[in-house]
Amino acid sequence: MKLDLSVEHKDNGAVEVKLDGDITIQTSPQLKKALSKLFKGQDKTIRLDLTDVKFMDTSGLATLVEGLQWSRSGGGDFKLTGLSENVRDVFELAKLDGEFDIVGHE
Amino acid sequence: MNTTSEQYNNLDGSQIGKMQCQLNSYYDAEYVLRSIVYVITTRAGMDDKHSNRVALAVDELYANIAKHGYDGKPGRVEFDARIHKEADGQAYLYFTFRDYADHAAHEKLKALINDPGEKPLTPGGRGLMMISAVMDRLEHRALAVGNYWCLVCRCGRNI
Repeated sequence: MKLDLSVEHKDNGAVEVKLDGDITIQTSPQLKKALSKLFKGQDKTIRLDLTDVKFMDTSGLATLVEGLQWSRSGGGDFKLTGLSENVRDVFELAKLDGEFDIVGHE
Repeated sequence: MNTTSEQYNNLDGSQIGKMQCQLNSYYDAEYVLRSIVYVITTRAGMDDKHSNRVALAVDELYANIAKHGYDGKPGRVEFDARIHKEADGQAYLYFTFRDYADHAAHEKLKALINDPGEKPLTPGGRGLMMISAVMDRLEHRALAVGNYWCLVCRCGRNI
């Protein structure tokens, strides 16, 4: 399995990271590396588009928690969008849905 | 797929209700494992949401065996998934792993099993909490060589 990442810098200074694939113990190091580079750079507003992520395990969740911690410590804004029902359910099972800014989450 | 009680009778003890494979502790085998879990949960009539939850829990135990048992090194892991109808008429899913790792290597995992409670906002440590939320039972037995692990989930359980 693989995870494709595309990073787009918007005019308003925000960065949109679009993911396509599964976020698992095998692919999450790739995501961690990309997020680390963004958060440790000048980028403060990061929007992670998970529309094309069909499965995420707890290593993926751990990577996103790290991203959230980096964002909070740097005064940034970290949003998640496009969560499928199954991916959203992982946050709920882990009782982390209240910690993240999930756009479109009712 | 909506599995009826009569169909469970046919699944139990049949080749339809059982799948086995020999994996290794490399993470790339996780996708194979997940596929097997989806086949069994679908045959058992679970909907997509519950299948995903069961797959997450099984995946988590496998990842822990690979990480803590084998410390990321190559190792043999045997996996068995089956639908079993017990004497009370209730159908259960059994997912068993057999590894050949040292018993001592699993001490951290066993400690987590005994404390699957809620965790503060830290990157790790949520996998066992999720297994505990999804499964009815998690069993571990230290064998002469290696370990036996079993996850049990009741079909139709409101997880």
